[in-house]
Amino acid sequence: MATLSAILVDAAVFSAWLFLVAVGLTLVFGVLRLLNIAHGAFYSVGAYVGVYAIGASVSMGWGTAVQLAAAAVAACAAGGLIGFLAERCVLTRLYGHPEPLVLIATYALFLVLDDATKLVSGAQSLYASQPRDNLGQIAIGGLQYPVYDIALIAVSLIVAITVWYGLNRTRAGRCVTAVVFDSEISAAMGINVPRIKLATFMVGAALGALAGALTAPKIAVGPGMGVEVIVIAFAVVVVGGLGSISGALLGAVIIGLARSVTVHLIPEVEVFSIYLVMAAVLAFRPFGLLPPAQVRRI
Amino acid sequence: MSRRRIDWTVVALIAIAVVLTLTASAVPNWIRYLGQQAVATALASVGVMVLLRAGLLSFGQGLFYFIGGFAVALLDRYAGMSDAFVVVLVSAASAGVLAAILGGFLAKYRGIFFSMLTLAVSMVMFGIAIKIRLFGGSDGLNVGLMSYVGYRPRGPDGQWFSFVFCVWTWTVFAMATHFFLGSRFGRLIQAVADNEVRVEFLGYSVRRVVWAAYVVAGILAGVGGAMAAISARHVDAQFAYWTTAGDFIFVVLLSGQASVVSPAVGAFALETLRSYASALFPDQWQLVFGGIMLAIVLFLPAGLDRLIVLAWRGTRNIRLRRGRLSTLESRP
Repeated sequence: MATLSAILVDAAVFSAWLFLVAVGLTLVFGVLRLLNIAHGAFYSVGAYVGVYAIGASVSMGWGTAVQLAAAAVAACAAGGLIGFLAERCVLTRLYGHPEPLVLIATYALFLVLDDATKLVSGAQSLYASQPRDNLGQIAIGGLQYPVYDIALIAVSLIVAITVWYGLNRTRAGRCVTAVVFDSEISAAMGINVPRIKLATFMVGAALGALAGALTAPKIAVGPGMGVEVIVIAFAVVVVGGLGSISGALLGAVIIGLARSVTVHLIPEVEVFSIYLVMAAVLAFRPFGLLPPAQVRRI
Repeated sequence: MSRRRIDWTVVALIAIAVVLTLTASAVPNWIRYLGQQAVATALASVGVMVLLRAGLLSFGQGLFYFIGGFAVALLDRYAGMSDAFVVVLVSAASAGVLAAILGGFLAKYRGIFFSMLTLAVSMVMFGIAIKIRLFGGSDGLNVGLMSYVGYRPRGPDGQWFSFVFCVWTWTVFAMATHFFLGSRFGRLIQAVADNEVRVEFLGYSVRRVVWAAYVVAGILAGVGGAMAAISARHVDAQFAYWTTAGDFIFVVLLSGQASVVSPAVGAFALETLRSYASALFPDQWQLVFGGIMLAIVLFLPAGLDRLIVLAWRGTRNIRLRRGRLSTLESRP
């Protein structure tokens, strides 16, 4: 019984993290039709910015809530700014180019950003665990969990609802949906397509950075943390169906559950559990569980 | 007997190999080493190029580079087999078998699905390799000196032999790939990138074409890894890391896809850049690497060999115009 509750809580915590990491990636893919490898770099930039923001707030003597808010806001701002520069300077010139070329461009962006963060903040690991320590522990099913980790579940649900609401219930969101379906007709109807693409990319980058900032108190922030993230985020997004927000949520839950079950019951295969789930899903549903409609080119 | 057109790619490959063999003893050791690394990278990059012609970008060629390299190391360590010809063939075979198995699964996928799945597979291999003792963990394994059909050269001689061996291995495999790409089946690879549905309607299986391209790319990367192991005499898990595959992509991007010779130029540029980079800017390697890639993508997406093609066309136009002018002038 204790194992079951541990599995479920771990799965929820891990799924929440997975969704935070993957939502920006799937949003950008849905609108811009490009897989942004640089998302991993946005994540690590966010983590560094989060560490600095938390460090600064701690030295100012501010409370835990302010520390976290500062980290989130600073990371979103940094992510948005870098997203703006990346879209304006690089990606906007490549729309309509062959897919491999765009993929290479985002890979190059990843390398540049990854090294730039190393250049700015040095090669050593940084820590910002104060907010997580201050929030204390909570007992669930006889086991102690950090309140921070549980709170992240709520945060990730809020992000999911906000993104869903933004896409489905606001004017801007409907414009985005229109661009996803047909950017030429949208342009003819008076939607500023380049601006929609720019804004979506900035939001996606900000979400990636936010995920990094919220993860920063849990880990040692150091170089090379972006690589795993991009692979895992891709696995999540692919299981759910590329470009679908609800798909990302579903994928995060499935992969989180798979990992937590294997960690507790068969720890030997933990490394592969994510990829096994991905392979299993793709073997039966090549475009994920909830794929957006595809047009076949003749 | 009809006169056949001269295949300039074959001529270039053989000429490069002959020239390198003849001049090998005249150049310093470290340049030969650089050249060996370059041909290893070049051969794996030819594989990336083959896949790219089918419109597929593989981030996982490091996997086969790893398999090839470790086939050499493990054969040397556990089977006592150090004949260069045998280990290269075993590397090619093991990489080919793995590619054939994985290809059956991956040939269904296109675009980013293909890219990211290949990436995931090679990252799983990396994850296994740094944990398992058989592969030497993160330290890797050392590779002994190679012998060549029973003859085991030592000292500076050994380096010369392994250089010449790598160069000729590159020539043979690059030429084989060239013939494969020129064959009817090889030409389908390009067709798959252009329009899959039409290829199916012409009566060919797109999946089989993609599968074949993947196996060829796997074999080439495996042989490349074997050559890297022979020349560096050390292999480690880093071979399977995605940045290794990134190197191959960089090479193809830099040199372009005009022919199987092109990646050799890009690979030599990469290895030279890398050896100077570690001295000039040790911590900003990725920054420079990524910056160059971005510059190429934005300003010269067809690669540097496009410049050669353009220059060739330019001079041809000038020559043609001159020829036409002279014929005009010679008219009465």
